[in-house]
Amino acid sequence: MWLDQADGFDEIFKGYLPYYLLVMFPILIIMSPVNPVAASHEFSVYRMQQYDLHTVPHGCRSSSFNLEGRSLTLWSTSRHCVVARIQDITIEQFIDIRNKAGALLLVLPKNDTLLTDDEREHIYLLEAVMAQQEVNLPVYFAEWSSDFEYIIKDLQHSFITDEKSGTALEAMFNTVSSNGYQIVVSTPAIQKLDSKPTVLHGKLTGRAASAQTIVVAAHYDASSVVPELSFGADSNASGVVALLELARVFSRLYGSAAVRGGPSILFLLVSTGHSLNYFTTKKWLEEHLDTADSSILQDVSFVMCLDSISSGPLKMHVSKPPKPGTVSHSMKSRLSVPFVHKKINLADELLAWHHERFSIRRMTAFTLSSLESHKEPRRSSLLDSYTEPSLESLVDNIKTTARALASHIYNITEETSEEDSAMFDEALNVDEASVRSWYKYLTSQTRAPQFLTTATQNGGVTGALERAMTRYMEVTSSVHVVDKREPEYTLYGPTKAVLYVYSVKPAVFDLILTLAIVAYLALVYFAIQIFPRFYTEYAKLVTGKEKVY
Amino acid sequence: MTLYHFGNCLALVYAPYHMAYKFSGISEYATFSKCVYAGGLYIFTQLCKMLLLATFFPDYDNTHASGEYDVFLEILKATVDLADLLGLYFAINAVPGKGHAKILTAAIGWACAEVIITRSVLLWVGARGSEFDWKYVRSCAESNVALLQHASTAALVWLWTRSDLPKKHFPIVITLLALSPYRNLLEDAIGSMLGLSTWALLAVRAMHASAVGLTALAMYAVLAQQIGM
Repeated sequence: MWLDQADGFDEIFKGYLPYYLLVMFPILIIMSPVNPVAASHEFSVYRMQQYDLHTVPHGCRSSSFNLEGRSLTLWSTSRHCVVARIQDITIEQFIDIRNKAGALLLVLPKNDTLLTDDEREHIYLLEAVMAQQEVNLPVYFAEWSSDFEYIIKDLQHSFITDEKSGTALEAMFNTVSSNGYQIVVSTPAIQKLDSKPTVLHGKLTGRAASAQTIVVAAHYDASSVVPELSFGADSNASGVVALLELARVFSRLYGSAAVRGGPSILFLLVSTGHSLNYFTTKKWLEEHLDTADSSILQDVSFVMCLDSISSGPLKMHVSKPPKPGTVSHSMKSRLSVPFVHKKINLADELLAWHHERFSIRRMTAFTLSSLESHKEPRRSSLLDSYTEPSLESLVDNIKTTARALASHIYNITEETSEEDSAMFDEALNVDEASVRSWYKYLTSQTRAPQFLTTATQNGGVTGALERAMTRYMEVTSSVHVVDKREPEYTLYGPTKAVLYVYSVKPAVFDLILTLAIVAYLALVYFAIQIFPRFYTEYAKLVTGKEKVY
Repeated sequence: MTLYHFGNCLALVYAPYHMAYKFSGISEYATFSKCVYAGGLYIFTQLCKMLLLATFFPDYDNTHASGEYDVFLEILKATVDLADLLGLYFAINAVPGKGHAKILTAAIGWACAEVIITRSVLLWVGARGSEFDWKYVRSCAESNVALLQHASTAALVWLWTRSDLPKKHFPIVITLLALSPYRNLLEDAIGSMLGLSTWALLAVRAMHASAVGLTALAMYAVLAQQIGM
C-alpha cells in the first residue's frame, strides 16, 4: 500500500524539509494578500474642509495616513496620530499638533445639545482657528461611539514607551498589558471637485406699470470645518425657510388682481454663501446687470438679504447708514429693528454680509440677521443644528419680516383699526407646520458647497428648493462656472473616509512572548522526560504493586 | 501582527507535537506512516460527519443568526461526534505494536490532522495580520490541550477494545467514552455558568483533559499490570 512508502517520505522530510520551507515561506508570503485581516474597528470619518479661495489654500491638505495612535498628552513625533475629544483639545495644543504631529483625529461630542456654553464657545473658537490657516497634516472628525470612548481611555492610560516606568520589570509588564493602536486611513488621492453653483430666482410681478423690484435673497449652503457635517440650521437654513415662507404668503396675495401689490418681488436663492465670498451672487449680478438683454434688475427698490435669523430679535446690517426718507429707513422703522453699520472693506478676504455684493453694484441693500456681527463663529460651525427654541424664534422673525414687507408694499403707514390689523394678520398667516418641516429637512441635509454644487441639476437640496418655489412662481435656475485659469474658488474631495483601528503590540512584546513560549516548551520537554518515572510511581500507587513494566 | 508573531504561534503549536512524537519513544517503531494514516482517517471521519450533519440536521446557520442557543440541537450535533470514536478505533487497530504505541500513534496522528485542518488557516490569516489579538496565542495553547484530550480518548478507546479489561473498570470506561463527545459543550456550559474569561476556560479545559487522562492512565496501569505488559 502507498502508506508504507510514507516512511520514505519521512526520510525525505528529515533531510530536505528545512530547505523546502526556506523556499515555500517566501512564496506563500508573496502570494498571500498584503493585509489579510479586517481590523477589529472600522469607523467612517469625515475629513476636514479643504478649499482654495482666490487660489489661497484653506483647510486640510492631505488625506491618507498610517500612524500609531496617541493621546493628547503622550504624543511626541510626526509618527503619531493624535486622538482626542474635540472638547479636550486646547488651541495651543492644536497649534502644536498642526506643526509637529502626523495626523489628528477628533471625536465629536456625544450629544450637541448637552454641551455647556463654555464648551460650545471653545468649539467655535477651535473651528475658527482650524479654518484660519492651511493644515498640512490629515485631520479627521469622527462621530461619537462607545468604541472610540474606549480607545481614547485606553490611549490615555497606556505607556508603550518605557521611559515613564521605574524598573525594567514594570516596563515589561506595561508592554504586555497595554494596547497600542495603529490608525489607518487610506483614501483616493485628493482631487478637485467639479463645482457648478446654481442660482434660483423667481418673480412675482407687481401691479404698477413701471414696477419697482424688491429683491429678497438668501444663500442656502452651510459651512463648517467639516463639509460632511455642515447642517447649518441658523446659517442659513433659517433664511431659506423664511424666503420660502415669504414666497408662499406673497404669491397668494399676488395671485388675485384685487390685492396684488405695486412693486414686483424677486426671490433669489444662491448656492454659495459667506464661506465662498458669495461667488454665485456676484456672477448672477454680472450676468443680469452687465448684459443688456436682461431686464430683471432694472429698477431695484431695495435688496433684503436673509441670513441667520433664528437666534433672537433681528438686526438690520447695512454698509451705509441710511438717511431718513429712504426705503431702507422706512423698512427699518416698519421692522422696528436697530441698525448695525459696517463699511465694506474690499481688502478683506471675505465680504462680511450678503448685501455687500449688491451694495457694491450700487443697489440699496441690507441684511436681516439675528447676529450682532458677521464675525460670529457660529455662522460656520458644525454645532449649528436644529433646536426647538430656534424654530420659535424663526417663526417670530418670519412674521415680523412678512408684516414689514407687506406694510411697505401696500404703503400702510399706520394700522389704525383693529379690524384692518386682524385682516392683515390673516392674510400674512405664517404656516408653522410648513416652516417646521422645511427647517427640519434643510437641517438634516449636508449642505456644504462640496455637495450642493456638485450634485446633479435636479437632485438634492437644489432640486427640492426649485420644486418648492415652482409652486408659487415661475423659477429660473442658472448654473455658473468658475473661471478656468484663475478660479475664484476650488473645492476638494474626498470629504469622507473609512478609518481602521488595529490594536497592536510593540515589537518587544513578541520577544517577551518568545521567552514565555520557550519557557513553556522547556516545561513540556521535562514533563515528557520524567513521564516514565511518573508512570512508575503512579502505577505503584494505583495497583499497589512494586513491579511494573 | 508580524511574521515573527506567526513564528511564535507556530512554535507553540508545533513543538509539543514534535516532542511528543520524538521523546515518547514511538518514533522508534517507525510509525510515521501510521500517524499519516490516522490523520487520513481523521479527515475521512470529518467528511462523514459533515455529510451526516448536512443531511439530517436543520440549517443551523439560520437558527444561530436569530441569536437563540438551542441546547437540544447542540447536544444532537455533539452526538455526531461519536463518529470520532469509531475513527479513532480504526486508527488504533491499524497500528501494530504494544498498547502505548498504538494509543500515542493514533492520538498524535489524529490531533496533528485536526490542528492542520482547523487552525493552520486561522493562524496564517490571523496571526500575520497587523491586528494583534490574544486569541491566536490562545488557540495555539488550546491545540496543546487538544493533544492531551485526544491521547486520553484514544487510551479509553483502546481500553474498551480489550476483552481482558477488569469488570469493575468497564462502566467507568463506557461513561467517559460516552461523555467525550460532549466535553466541549460541558466546558462551555461551566464557563458561561461561572462567567469565566477565555483564559480561565482554557485552564478548565486543561484540568478536565488531565483528569480524564489520569483516570485512563490508572486503568491502563492496572491492565498493564494484569497482563504483564
